Amino acid sequence: MARFGENLPKALAPIAVTAGLLALWQGAALVARSSYLPPMTEILPITVSLVGSGEIFPDLLSSLARLAAGFGIGLVAGIPIGLISGRNRAVEEFIMPLLGAFYPVPKAALMPIVMLWFGAGDLSKVLIIILTVSLPLIYHAQQGARAVDEKLIWSAQAMGCSSLRRLLIVILPASLPEILIGARVAIVIGVIVTITSEMIVRQSGLGNYLFTALDMGQYAMTYAVILIIAVLGFLLDWLFEIMRRRLTLWAPDRQGIEIAVTS
Amino acid sequence: MIILEGVTKTYQRAQGGGEVQALGRISTSIKGGEFVALVGPSGCGKSTLLYIVGGFVPKSSGRILVNDAPVTGPGPDRGPVFQEFALFPWRTVLGNILFGLREQKVPKPEAQSRAQRLIEMVHLKGFEHLYPKELSGGMKQRVAIARTLAYDPAILLMDEPFGALDAQTRTMLQDELLAIWERDTKTVLFVTHAVDEAVYLADRVLVMTAAPGRIKADLAINLPRPRRRDELLRDANYQNYVIEIGHMLDRPAAA
Repeated sequence: MARFGENLPKALAPIAVTAGLLALWQGAALVARSSYLPPMTEILPITVSLVGSGEIFPDLLSSLARLAAGFGIGLVAGIPIGLISGRNRAVEEFIMPLLGAFYPVPKAALMPIVMLWFGAGDLSKVLIIILTVSLPLIYHAQQGARAVDEKLIWSAQAMGCSSLRRLLIVILPASLPEILIGARVAIVIGVIVTITSEMIVRQSGLGNYLFTALDMGQYAMTYAVILIIAVLGFLLDWLFEIMRRRLTLWAPDRQGIEIAVTS
Repeated sequence: MIILEGVTKTYQRAQGGGEVQALGRISTSIKGGEFVALVGPSGCGKSTLLYIVGGFVPKSSGRILVNDAPVTGPGPDRGPVFQEFALFPWRTVLGNILFGLREQKVPKPEAQSRAQRLIEMVHLKGFEHLYPKELSGGMKQRVAIARTLAYDPAILLMDEPFGALDAQTRTMLQDELLAIWERDTKTVLFVTHAVDEAVYLADRVLVMTAAPGRIKADLAINLPRPRRRDELLRDANYQNYVIEIGHMLDRPAAA
């Protein structure tokens, strides 16, 4: 039995789905005739002009800067912690319960307390991003390090490779495929928490721009910013995926990598 | 020279406590340049013994001396070759071979020329820049052998190195190993469960009992060298060794 869309080239499917959803939206908006649900013919031009005029750029850049700072620090802190805890039982027993207790907590819920301690500014936002992105990085680095073939380590030991060096030149590259899976999760939830933190402490950034538009009753503009955030998340994930594949060309193929996102 | 005196190994069972004795009082000595094969039923602890000599796994009691120094951990004087190859998958053939040379701080130009020589020796010319996942099993094991030979260990510790290969590749690599050994005069401790392989390669075969592994027989293999497979296969002495050792392994531990 021929299934619908089977003959469509694979690349066309997402475009078709997107076009379908946009058309559905347009239809619903025309029927509803509500300012809360503006039609796509109104949202899309605003989106284009927000980007085209560069009006969104300062806020886009400030969101990206926070994300980059949080993600960068999260990488530098999370990967070593994960790798060491994956190789050292004592460290693992210390880290795991903390990680387990902390993982399900929505990190944005900690924002009030972080603000109390570190003020209502960039520091608090970046801290929340660091906390969020570190967890999947630590977890996946630990899983990767734990799964490193003992005999790779023995081979390096026999060559006279010290334990600190082994962490850097054996455990780290051997764990890289797993670490990058964690990093992909981290980027996606990093975008979420960046926007969220900007909605809570409204100074700049896409989250702030979004709520400002909502406050002023510019609903089409609100939707346009949401669209920009969605495209940003998609682009970052797509770019990262290209890089991930480049970096792990040497790795034996793995099928069906599932990305679970929690925040 | 490797000396083992009353070496034992006891494992703690993972759950519910209790101890399992893997090795019971192993004593033997291996001369420099000797090729010794260790055969025994699976689970007899022959690989464990090899790992202990390598310093990868601690012994429970007894004494091990390698060139008069007690073994406290792994060292570049003892180079392992594993059945699973254990290549660094993120490094190319050349990168794997250079790995140990860099760790041993061999100057770059010398490391490069040594690596090139080894690549030619193990017939991997033209494959230098491939990653392990792009190689066949036989090629992987050639890389692993070259990687270990690169830092020039006096002792090779080989853990069923040809166990995962097809019969044809296996005989080819056996011959290549013999050629290398006859030229470089390294001490080889070679774990295998294939009796014919042990007799074909070794000066001496140590036969182990089922767990807890002990040395049940220590046979000198008096066959002429350099060994030629087609001559040996017709040699009654070779056949007798294979049959004799085969019988020793067949006999149940209790008998």
